[in-house]
Amino acid sequence: MKKNYIYLMVLIIILCSAPLRAQDDQQLEKEIEELLAGAKSSEEIKRPAPSSTGRYFQSLNPDISVIVDTFYQRDDSKEGIAHIFEETEGFGHSCTAGHHHGPDEGFNMNHLELYFSANADPYFKGWGVAAVTEEGAEMEEAVIQTTALPHGLQLKFGKFFSDFGRINPQHAHSWDFSDQPLIYRLTLGTHGLNDKGIQASWLMPTDFYLLAGLEAFQGNNEVMFNHIGGDHLSDKSGPRIFVGWLKLAPNLANVNHAIQFGTFFSRGVHQEEHDGNTDGTYDHWLTGHSKFGGFDFVYKFDDLRAYGVGDITVQGEYFQRRKDLTVENHDLNTALIGRDKIEKQDGYYLQTTYGFLPRWRVGVRWDRIGMINDIDLPPGTSSSPDGSDQLALMVDWTLSEFSRLRFQYTDGDYETEEGKEDVSRIFLQLQISLGTHGAHKF
Amino acid sequence: MKKLMICLTMLLLLTGFSWSDENRLNVVTTTTDLKSIAEMIGGEYVSVTNICQGNQDPHFIQAKPIYMVRARNADLWIRIGLELEIGYEEPIIEGSRNTRIQIGDPGHLDASEGVLLLEVPTTQKIDRSMGDVHPLGNPHYWLDPYNGRVMAKNIADRLKKLAPANKDIFGKNYQAFIRKLDEAMFGKELVAEIGGERLWGLELAGKLIEFIDQQNAIRNPQSAIKLAGWVGKMRPHQGKKIITYHRSWSYFVNRFNLVVAEELEPKPGIPPSPRHLVKVIKKIKADDTKILIMENYYSRKAPEFVSKKTGITIVQVANAVGGEKEAVDYISMIDNIAEKIDAALK
Repeated sequence: MKKNYIYLMVLIIILCSAPLRAQDDQQLEKEIEELLAGAKSSEEIKRPAPSSTGRYFQSLNPDISVIVDTFYQRDDSKEGIAHIFEETEGFGHSCTAGHHHGPDEGFNMNHLELYFSANADPYFKGWGVAAVTEEGAEMEEAVIQTTALPHGLQLKFGKFFSDFGRINPQHAHSWDFSDQPLIYRLTLGTHGLNDKGIQASWLMPTDFYLLAGLEAFQGNNEVMFNHIGGDHLSDKSGPRIFVGWLKLAPNLANVNHAIQFGTFFSRGVHQEEHDGNTDGTYDHWLTGHSKFGGFDFVYKFDDLRAYGVGDITVQGEYFQRRKDLTVENHDLNTALIGRDKIEKQDGYYLQTTYGFLPRWRVGVRWDRIGMINDIDLPPGTSSSPDGSDQLALMVDWTLSEFSRLRFQYTDGDYETEEGKEDVSRIFLQLQISLGTHGAHKF
Repeated sequence: MKKLMICLTMLLLLTGFSWSDENRLNVVTTTTDLKSIAEMIGGEYVSVTNICQGNQDPHFIQAKPIYMVRARNADLWIRIGLELEIGYEEPIIEGSRNTRIQIGDPGHLDASEGVLLLEVPTTQKIDRSMGDVHPLGNPHYWLDPYNGRVMAKNIADRLKKLAPANKDIFGKNYQAFIRKLDEAMFGKELVAEIGGERLWGLELAGKLIEFIDQQNAIRNPQSAIKLAGWVGKMRPHQGKKIITYHRSWSYFVNRFNLVVAEELEPKPGIPPSPRHLVKVIKKIKADDTKILIMENYYSRKAPEFVSKKTGITIVQVANAVGGEKEAVDYISMIDNIAEKIDAALK
């Protein structure tokens, strides 16, 4: 009996308390509602309500950026650095003669770079780079690239930089120094290997980074893969250059470090025309192939601090090239037709930069070419001239992500046909980038 | 030829090992805070890696090849957005050649969807003479716990979409995360008594304090309610002025009613200049400002100079998970900031 009484009491309490609690809850809700209503009506809302204000709308226009790059240059040579490069033993005279490509002493402009890029649709992206100089505009790049191929595959069509090596794919404004290393300047010229063609690349499904690429280019590099054709030389149809490369980056446990290795090989048609008796007209013509290959590496130490303080980059590339040419036509000595001319050269550079202050870096680059420098000439003679080297010191100040001021001093010993030349150069360079904030490649 | 065959066979062997566990979603986040939230919601059904370290400046990340390898295997890529990752996201995603995580795909999530934004430029034209301005708003929004809730919602919704089989588990984990966050924000008892949603409603309307006072006026003393958590801790410091190194604390400061009197950077992203520091020193002296907050990846040189001249206390604190040993997850990261600021302002 007593037990039942207790049960009943408990039941009553439970029954009564439930609506009571519900009432409490409702009451609370009502009070909050009132409070909030009051807040809304008055101007007491001190924080913006969560909203979609400022949500990004990606416009359908391409990203546009413009690079303005100007520099002051002086050297202490008699005829200018371009002339010296033209005369460098084993490397000069490889292109069509009379082609002086180089900075003037004093004020210079690197080309004005106009960059447009966008996804075309879900399958392709494209970009174009117009290099505008005082003489006119040049198509530096015009690329269609696939974005939706499976299994890590990608195709690229159009005109573009070959992706071999470290510096070749980079636009001039993203170099760490004001000028190219000798091995690039003297084997491929100021534009590097940049041509019309197609590229297929594959990011392999390995646990580490392994990227392989094959490229076929039409073949118009004026220094190493030159096609002249015409009356005196046989016409070769394109593609005339084939390139294969591999990039490998092991996984390093420590987040501060990153390293990448690369290797490549290329082969292409090469033709030359020369003025042997220097009377102003070409008198002998050669045709054949160039082979070009090498290794590259880059190591980056990221100190994780702001503005690049303590960051270190070490980078190097070694290239070797071989020209196998045959005399196809000779106006002065027909006996030489059919004779071979074989050239073999190599070179490397090693450079490092260090962030010593917020947004300030120093860098050193050591360049050497012609450790191998063998030239076999058609009469059957051969020579092995000495190599050339140069040392560059630079300091740059990246004021913001969009502007950079750089000073560079280069001292080189160049082995030219007129003897050894010791030349010092200075650069004072200022570059700005307008428009879209481009991401930086590794 | 033989060598080539051996190489190819080796490659094929290597590829055999790289496929990951099928039951788990592979998630790559740009920051550690996103990773922490994704892990708390995804639990054992996700495997999460991050790009930027907690003690690393998120503005200066290099698109290393290893990140492309990680992104290649990702089912989901989560970013903070608002252009925080502008310097490295594109080359990583493009370099990964992963067709599931391109912008606009279900495998690409911008966690800023629906967050409360501050400092969205309102001028007709913004340009870079203003420093490193973000045209979409200040991207350091994860330092507002309210936004932590929104980020968690975004992540939970996307995980459910990508792995519907684990929907209920993600939902449960999400609720647990929200509860834990709300309790850390307002105090356990208050959340139990009033409910997290309501408290946030009041907080967002700026009526939380008024509500508590009102409640306590009608309640008897035994059942009086009390603010605890971060709100309770920061309440005594309301309106106090602080100095920050970078414009990265706006959201924390806004939520807990502090005032940024000056920044050491003359403009966002521009390192402190002597002339600007003189101005800051004068301002500190005039206002009698007590603390200077900085992340641990900035140089201490300028802050120490300012401190020497003014006696201001430097509070070096991580604003990302993993930036300090105390900041093990999203909640303890905010906890650590509140703790250090409170200790320095007392």
